[in-house]
Amino acid sequence: MEKIKEIINTVLANRGKAPITDINNDSHLRNDIGFDSLDLAELTVRLEAEFDIDIFEDGIVNTVGEIQTKLAPL
Amino acid sequence: MNILVTGVSRGLGLELAKTLINEGHNVYGLSRNKSSELENLLHLHPDRIKWLSYNLSNSTDVKNIIFKEWIGHNTPIHGFVNNAALAYDDIITNLNMTKLEEMYKVNVFTPLEITKYVIRHMLLHNVKGSIVHLSSISVHTGYKGLAMYASTKGALEAFSKNTAREWGEKGIRSNIIVSGFMETDMSEGLNVQQKERIYKRTSLKKATDVNSVAETIVFLLSNKACSITGQNIHVDSGTI
Repeated sequence: MEKIKEIINTVLANRGKAPITDINNDSHLRNDIGFDSLDLAELTVRLEAEFDIDIFEDGIVNTVGEIQTKLAPL
Repeated sequence: MNILVTGVSRGLGLELAKTLINEGHNVYGLSRNKSSELENLLHLHPDRIKWLSYNLSNSTDVKNIIFKEWIGHNTPIHGFVNNAALAYDDIITNLNMTKLEEMYKVNVFTPLEITKYVIRHMLLHNVKGSIVHLSSISVHTGYKGLAMYASTKGALEAFSKNTAREWGEKGIRSNIIVSGFMETDMSEGLNVQQKERIYKRTSLKKATDVNSVAETIVFLLSNKACSITGQNIHVDSGTI
């Protein structure tokens, strides 16, 4: 979870947005964290570079919990 | 800068690779085969040009073979030049679906897939990169026998315009070179009379200079062109 939070904050910083301090499995990527489609694309790329899994390859991911599920096989 | 170029074995791609190397850039070149000229370039500049044999009719291995295994996550890509193309020419009433599908794979589908991973790579490295697609004057001025070929290039023009709009906010630019007929292998099927007819339609009354096209591409890749995106730049001896 810490690594995911770190990557989320990198993406936020690259768009000049404030970092988040708390996230949980219910945190919504668009509604709570404030990501738009370009941010989600960057998030995907950074997660893939770290975990070697493309979280959007087979469907939309909405929450931090859903990212955890996608990365779960690891 | 690290520049990914398709079709580097001959013609414009080879000229572009030489120009990029002369300007101090690193070339990541793709082509099906290694020509003797390309072999020579690789030998002269082993530290400036990397080459991978890849057939662009294969769109399924773009991610794994080109980006994961060859370029790798850690190498930033600053520019992509979609240069390679198949030119299948015939009149429309003879359209052959197998040849048409092959041409669409090489000219459109695989370059679009490569663009997907180029943009992803640019996002990973925070690179404000530049994408240049090669189009053809045949899109804008019809030529008998080139309807199918021109349709693939028209698709790239639309794709580039929308790439520019979609990714401009991230500083990623996309432009088109609308090239006239050059004296390369691509137009070797034309006889002298056909070439003369084509050149007569240009303002300069001659073939488009390969070096002029290569230099314009290098300009569009560079920061000098940082305010140019979503454009079609005609380098075509003034075909009007």
